Amino acid sequence: MIFAPSALSPGEEALREEVRSFLAAILPADFRPGLGLGGRHDPEFTRVLAEQGWVGMSIPVEYGGAGASTVRRFVVVEELLAAGAPIAAHWIAERQTAPALLRFGTEEQRRWFLPRIAAGECWFSLGMSEPDAGSDLASVRTTATRVDGGWRVTGTKVWTTNAHLNHFAVVLCRTTPEAEAGDRHAGLSQLIVDLGADGVRVSPIPLIDGEEHVNEVVLDGVFVPDERVLGEVGKGWAQVTAELAHERSGPDRYLSVLGVYRAFLEVCHDSADDVDDTTAAAIGRIGAQMWTIRQLSLAVARSLEQGEAPAVEAALVKDVGTTFEQQVVETLRDAAGGEIDPEGPTMFERLLAECVLNAPTWTLRGGTTEVLRGIAAKALTR
Amino acid sequence: MTVLSDVTAVREAVADVLADRCTPAALEDAERDGWAPGVWDPLHAGGFTTVGVPEDAGGAGGSVAQACAVLEEIGAAAAPVPLAETGLLAGRLLAHAALVLPDGPLTTGVGPVALRHGALVGRLERVAWARRAHRIVLLADDPAGGLVVAVVDPAAASITPGRNLAGEPRDAVDLDGVVPETLAPAPPDAREALARRGALARAALIAGAAHRVRDLTVAYTGERVQFGRPVSRFPAVADHLVRLAEQAEMAAMAARAAAMGAGEHGEPAALDAAAAAAVASEAAGLVAAAAHQATGAMGVTREFALGVLTRRLWSWRDEWGGERAWAIRLGRTLAAGGSDALWPTLSRGVGTSP
Repeated sequence: MIFAPSALSPGEEALREEVRSFLAAILPADFRPGLGLGGRHDPEFTRVLAEQGWVGMSIPVEYGGAGASTVRRFVVVEELLAAGAPIAAHWIAERQTAPALLRFGTEEQRRWFLPRIAAGECWFSLGMSEPDAGSDLASVRTTATRVDGGWRVTGTKVWTTNAHLNHFAVVLCRTTPEAEAGDRHAGLSQLIVDLGADGVRVSPIPLIDGEEHVNEVVLDGVFVPDERVLGEVGKGWAQVTAELAHERSGPDRYLSVLGVYRAFLEVCHDSADDVDDTTAAAIGRIGAQMWTIRQLSLAVARSLEQGEAPAVEAALVKDVGTTFEQQVVETLRDAAGGEIDPEGPTMFERLLAECVLNAPTWTLRGGTTEVLRGIAAKALTR
Repeated sequence: MTVLSDVTAVREAVADVLADRCTPAALEDAERDGWAPGVWDPLHAGGFTTVGVPEDAGGAGGSVAQACAVLEEIGAAAAPVPLAETGLLAGRLLAHAALVLPDGPLTTGVGPVALRHGALVGRLERVAWARRAHRIVLLADDPAGGLVVAVVDPAAASITPGRNLAGEPRDAVDLDGVVPETLAPAPPDAREALARRGALARAALIAGAAHRVRDLTVAYTGERVQFGRPVSRFPAVADHLVRLAEQAEMAAMAARAAAMGAGEHGEPAALDAAAAAAVASEAAGLVAAAAHQATGAMGVTREFALGVLTRRLWSWRDEWGGERAWAIRLGRTLAAGGSDALWPTLSRGVGTSP
């Protein structure tokens, strides 16, 4: 394990202050925070943020980014999530697609996509899960067949967040039949699909919270030109696995609940009574855990910055973080008492209601608890 | 980087000294006798008993982070000696009052003790190794309303032996009428600072023991075969291992971050120490429970090495406060700070970057 506490440099602290002031100025006083990475899709916010140089920060300067370190990006992302800022438009493009393009993309792809991502103008969705391929991602059935100048893609993707708003999806699909490839992890490829192309049909999958931001995406013979293949044909599995290590340990895994936690403190502050021991213990326990998990996450960022690939540590942090997030919802509910009213008079009540309905997804998205523990167990018992 | 490598060097040096000294037989002897000269003497000779106490006070020098690195190794080895008490706790108490350390094992405790006409009134409960300490160092209220550091010869006090779940001495010390050998004014926040160091020291011990519990449990479940394969291959058992490992890392990160926050010469911050204690004490129970479930009946035998560690985890988590008391303190501070200060407080750094 590489977990070592890490201090921020004066420059990193200064950046934090800068982002904090910017957000305080731009978000309205009565702003309802999003639940961390569940922040809203707001192209105007993304554009203004990009003007500050805070979208696609780790993209090198030659491709239109800021060439910032992993930890500087960590600091900015942390402040955005802490504020519950509306980050959804650029979230996947900047967290996942840009690093993948840098690692596996062609020079032409980098020159075309990266400046647009950094400008906050090019938004991505993830085309991984399918009706019959969730945790067992290698069983994807979406198929691309060779045609003149490219590929024709047919299949169905599900849980595709904001596919109805975003421009592209990176679609994991089978380019060589399993029988021919020999190994089920072989013969998979990643194609960049234009979500506006002919044959793409996006329809919402309403979730239990009433929101309709995740979708089913049916690909019906969609043409993808050769220049939109990401990385090597047949190497999709290795590429996706590398992506997931980056996806897993970030501040999005412990900050979904900061908004409701902060709102609870507001309620306590407004009450005439001093907080009782039980309430104080709840507030303190959450604070202590968050402070510690944040240090674990920062340690992973620091290690990524030094060129290491802490995949197991990342899985541990995601598991600890998301389990913690769910506990926080129950702890606050217990401390507050009473019925949960989604239209209640305080921000705390409304956010708590939203959290209860959303919390089940936190330990599912980006790898379920069970999958993550499987990865960690393999490493521990090796 | 120097801080980290120093910490690593200290850790390795202590591990070297302890290797093969905390044997099952040595630990059984220590439980019976209340003392382990075979463990204390080499640590003392190597200068490891006063890491974290400034050299001009007679200590070995070093930061809180280095002192905690020593304690992690003590915890991992289940070494039955008052290392935390001698260095980080009593040692620093003396140093902060500009007193020089007496030689040998020291201990301390907190309780309602006062100084009246040159003699002490009061009693300290559950003082670690009081019966074997060369001197007891304590804080007492003086008649003028201030606080003094008093150094007491245990022979002058009335000591009732007690122990914790691991058989480590935790004695009651009746101080009524005892005239201290040495008295010196203490800073007004000395009680609070001592409690913080006590909590952080326990967190570091817990972190060390938790890591060792993880290693033992992983090894045992990898060797124990049932239904034709090692039990660690069963997902339900593997789940215990992962949660155990996670909680060990939580305890270690909390303790190390709080220790690092103290810097080269400073003391742990109030919020950091409270957070470390709250996290590590909770982790201790989870680690012990997961380890015992994974190791089955073998784990609860006196013969197996797990018990000396889990009995310590169950003891240390409550000493110097326990998770609920520290969570309450932290929670009151966070609540008083208000919602706007919450995130800036939780995201504050752990000292300056190298």
